[in-house]
Amino acid sequence: MSSTEGSNTPTKRETEGWQNDLQRVGLVRRLLMARKWYGVDWWFVAISAVMVLAFIFIAFFPGLLAPYEPDQIVGTSFLHPGKYPDVPVLVVRTESTVETLLDLATPEGEDRPSVGVVQGGTEATAVREHSQELDDQLIQDGNGLRLRPRIERYDDVQELLNAVNDGTILAAVVNSNEFNQVKSDYPDLRSGDSILGETASAGGFIMGTNEIGQDVFSRLLWGTRIALIVGFSSSIISLLLGLPLGLLAGYFGGAFDRLLSLVMDSLYAFPGLILAIAITSVLGPSIYNVIVAIAVLYIPTYYRIVRGQTLTVKEEVYIEAAKSIGARRWEILWRYIYPNVIPSVAIIFSVNVADAILTSAGLSFLGLGLPPTMADWGIDLARGQRFIQTAWWLITYPGIAIMLIVLAFTMMGEGLMEIYNPKLRER
Amino acid sequence: MTPIAFILLIIGVPLVLMLLYVFIRGSMGLRRYILTRIGLTLPMIFILASLVFFIMRILPGDPVRSALGPRGTAEQAENMRRTLGLDQPLIVQYGNFLIDIITLDFGTSMVGGHRPIIDEMSERFPATLELIIPSSILALAIGIIGGSLAASKRRKFPDYSLRVYSVIIYSLPIFWFGLMLQLLFGIQWKLLPVAGRIDPVIRTSLQPVTNLYLIDSLISGNWPAFWSGVQHLILPTITLGLVLSGVFVRMTRINVIETLQADYIAAARARGIRERVVVYGHALKNAMIPVITLIGLQVAILLAGAVLTETIFNWPGMGGYLVQRISSRDYTAVQSVIAMFALLVALISLAVDLVYSLLDPRVRY
Amino acid sequence: MSAETLFSIRNLTVEYQTRAGAVKAADDVNFDIRRGEILGLVGESGCGKSTLGKALMRLHRIPARIAGGELWFDGRDLMTLSENEMRAVRGAEIGMVFQDPMTSLNPVQRIIDHLTETVHAHEPKTSDEEARARANVLAEKLGIRAERLKDYPHQMSGGMRQRVMISLALALRAKLVIADEPTTSLDVIVEAKFLDLLRELRQEFGLTILIITHNIGVVAEVADRVAVMYAARLVEIGGVKEIFADPKHPYTQGLLHSVPNIQLDGAELYKMEGIPPNLLYPPSGCRFHPRCPFAMEICGVEEPTFEAVGNDHFAECWLYHQASQVEVEK
Repeated sequence: MSSTEGSNTPTKRETEGWQNDLQRVGLVRRLLMARKWYGVDWWFVAISAVMVLAFIFIAFFPGLLAPYEPDQIVGTSFLHPGKYPDVPVLVVRTESTVETLLDLATPEGEDRPSVGVVQGGTEATAVREHSQELDDQLIQDGNGLRLRPRIERYDDVQELLNAVNDGTILAAVVNSNEFNQVKSDYPDLRSGDSILGETASAGGFIMGTNEIGQDVFSRLLWGTRIALIVGFSSSIISLLLGLPLGLLAGYFGGAFDRLLSLVMDSLYAFPGLILAIAITSVLGPSIYNVIVAIAVLYIPTYYRIVRGQTLTVKEEVYIEAAKSIGARRWEILWRYIYPNVIPSVAIIFSVNVADAILTSAGLSFLGLGLPPTMADWGIDLARGQRFIQTAWWLITYPGIAIMLIVLAFTMMGEGLMEIYNPKLRER
Repeated sequence: MTPIAFILLIIGVPLVLMLLYVFIRGSMGLRRYILTRIGLTLPMIFILASLVFFIMRILPGDPVRSALGPRGTAEQAENMRRTLGLDQPLIVQYGNFLIDIITLDFGTSMVGGHRPIIDEMSERFPATLELIIPSSILALAIGIIGGSLAASKRRKFPDYSLRVYSVIIYSLPIFWFGLMLQLLFGIQWKLLPVAGRIDPVIRTSLQPVTNLYLIDSLISGNWPAFWSGVQHLILPTITLGLVLSGVFVRMTRINVIETLQADYIAAARARGIRERVVVYGHALKNAMIPVITLIGLQVAILLAGAVLTETIFNWPGMGGYLVQRISSRDYTAVQSVIAMFALLVALISLAVDLVYSLLDPRVRY
Repeated sequence: MSAETLFSIRNLTVEYQTRAGAVKAADDVNFDIRRGEILGLVGESGCGKSTLGKALMRLHRIPARIAGGELWFDGRDLMTLSENEMRAVRGAEIGMVFQDPMTSLNPVQRIIDHLTETVHAHEPKTSDEEARARANVLAEKLGIRAERLKDYPHQMSGGMRQRVMISLALALRAKLVIADEPTTSLDVIVEAKFLDLLRELRQEFGLTILIITHNIGVVAEVADRVAVMYAARLVEIGGVKEIFADPKHPYTQGLLHSVPNIQLDGAELYKMEGIPPNLLYPPSGCRFHPRCPFAMEICGVEEPTFEAVGNDHFAECWLYHQASQVEVEK
């Protein structure tokens, strides 16, 4: 008869074995294992996490991707997406040193330079006006240089460019778009800068420009910053106020709890946007007011969920057990109840940020939130609304941006909830 | 009789009758519940009213100055302050404010017209109602059907696609969604109107009884008016209803999933009850009970969404009125509208809770 | 399969998919349920008996699945039936009584509706009156007053609810009733009444009952035969009197020993050594061997086979295998 001692040990070692293995497996491996287990929800969280990180990255370094400053006026207004700005540029032979109109200045008395334009276009006026300006400047400088180009008119672009090609004229002024279309036919010619002094965008404006000539795409990227600042700040404030109140009310109960719950429930039932409208309409448009207004809106949400969780956990037997071994109330609150509450709070936080961004956009859209000078998506939408008939891109892109960022945070909250909520699990 | 009184009668009388019936026939537990719940409404209104007061009177910012603009003289400011009662001590102001709310005396608008605000609100209330009701019905229909479908076919395609749908549509800013719909259907394809409630020419032929255009036109058999009203209603309803449906799909889904894990569901299956009956008959009926309470809370989102929707579609409802009055700096009106919203929310919340008590037999007996 | 056997379970294996891998809740289980008998299935919590009970009706849900085996009920293998055909079997031929009658009844549905709905689910042509009449008759037989049928579940007592559960299981004259821990939520007196009821029903309707419980007392009280489960395997099966008088499997011995006996004074409470095994990584060979006082070398190496140890009495243990018997004697 073999002893019980000996036969107990193999089992014990086996048990320890697999538990240790599971712990030794690294975080990455566990994440991948989780993927198999949680399936689609894992993807929900993973994709949204990537999106959130992307947005955060953009918010930190908008300059990396945005070609322009958000306030910079970079082109003509109402440019359709993808179109190059229609600016008049100088076209010269490739070897010429002429870059701007100023380079065509000649000393007094010498031959006036010839500049060609297409008959019937606006370039002639542009050349004349601009040369006039520069000429006055030159007179003031007193170097003896003058800029009074002779304007030669041609019937069409081909004739004009041929003339430049064979040297009949020194330079031509053509619409940048037109030139780009026929560029390939004239390998010896190149374009210089816009004669108006603006920089012609190298890549066109992929999302067009708005009504005062700002680049929509750049504003989009820069807008991420405001959106995330408002979203996170207000959520953090709500969290810092709602979480402790919920814990205390749930744990200690009594009149304090009942009164506070009544207030919170009333607040929760009230339409958030309208409350925010009320607050910002009185306080005035500023980013701080918006953050405060939105923060107030979400305190009841944290309060309710945390209080609910606290109440549930409070009834668990291990709390009673902890009390029976003499744990103090603060210890119980901190060590037992608080950690149980955290997963729900994380989920709410995620959804909260999403909601905050939506509310902030709504407020800005109504003209009540952020000061209209800020580069914010809601503001862009408000401004663009007037031009919905003619410039659809002014509202489409900012709206998509809002949707994507809200989607990212919402998906994360949704996915996390599927994973953490014990009532939704099937085992 | 004013339209608002008419509507309140239509909704209120059956509600009160039903309440009385239940009260008399119901058990002790139910009566206690009803009384308690009605009793709680008063503090709720009180709290919300106080909140509004606090925001409008105590927070920094001078409404009188803003209303008068830079050209207002000190004397005008003084006068206005006196008429509005802003020169009284705060406590007196607070008391007056509460009394005003209870008696529904909201004063006159500060800017442009000086009409009694209650009149302006009662004109616009039916418009908001006419927008909200179809939208909620749409949202509920999609939500309940979608949610239970997703829950019953969990981890399969309907579940995932409905979850993706609900998450995407929840993320759409409602005003942007409305604008996009306007762009497509109103401007690009020119199918539907994008502003107002009804063609203004046709409007002249309509006899306003309840100020709910659809009902009024049906009553008087005015088919062009009815059709015009419906056309104008389509885009705003889709905007508000669809965006709201996302929330309802999620809520219903979660509740049905939880319910499906209950023992009595397994027991029903063990008796050979068909899966469809199990889900829609047993699980849904039980899941609906908490969902109804949640729906009551969603009234908040509904009203908030209505404000934005009305603004975009130029819908002459309370929400649009609020925004308009804010830009005109008419703080009396703003205050009144918000107070009215608070009242509405409290009453709807009460109604929902009472309906809940009727549905759940555990409360009844 | 003889006419005597109602339900023949062959090589049944039920698995759970967990994060850490597949866990067998029932591993190659074989036994028969005979017509008109009350068979008790006992074992510790977590040994897999509840899962087994559900699996017999194919009622289990993801993540549990039947990984193999045959369920020969009344001449048909239930494993070959489609979901629809299986649904027709549930409630009509096999009924189930659940552990907690409070949560097993729909809180927003009246009792009478529970009954009529069950009737309609299987015999949809039955008129409402007929269904109600049948429900009334059934309720009376089970000692439920007719006027109580209009109540909601929360208005009834625990014992009454449990009787409702039985009536639901019998609504269509099921041949077999599987009772999953039916008395665990009842107090002792109500439990006794309940067991009396079971015996009466067996008498009157010729009912066959499988009673799943961890309470040996219940089994002793009411069962004809008993099957003992340990760590997802069936380790002993036989007549109740025989097993109680002379348990053969060491686990059964330990189980019976651990029931406190008021007549033995001064004796310490007996407890078995060790803890139930982790079903994810069960012990090699006989699963009980780490805790078995009689464990031999072969026990840790090979799984034992079922041996006859008496009249209609079988145990899965190397002790009773011919060859090893010789060894022991040596």
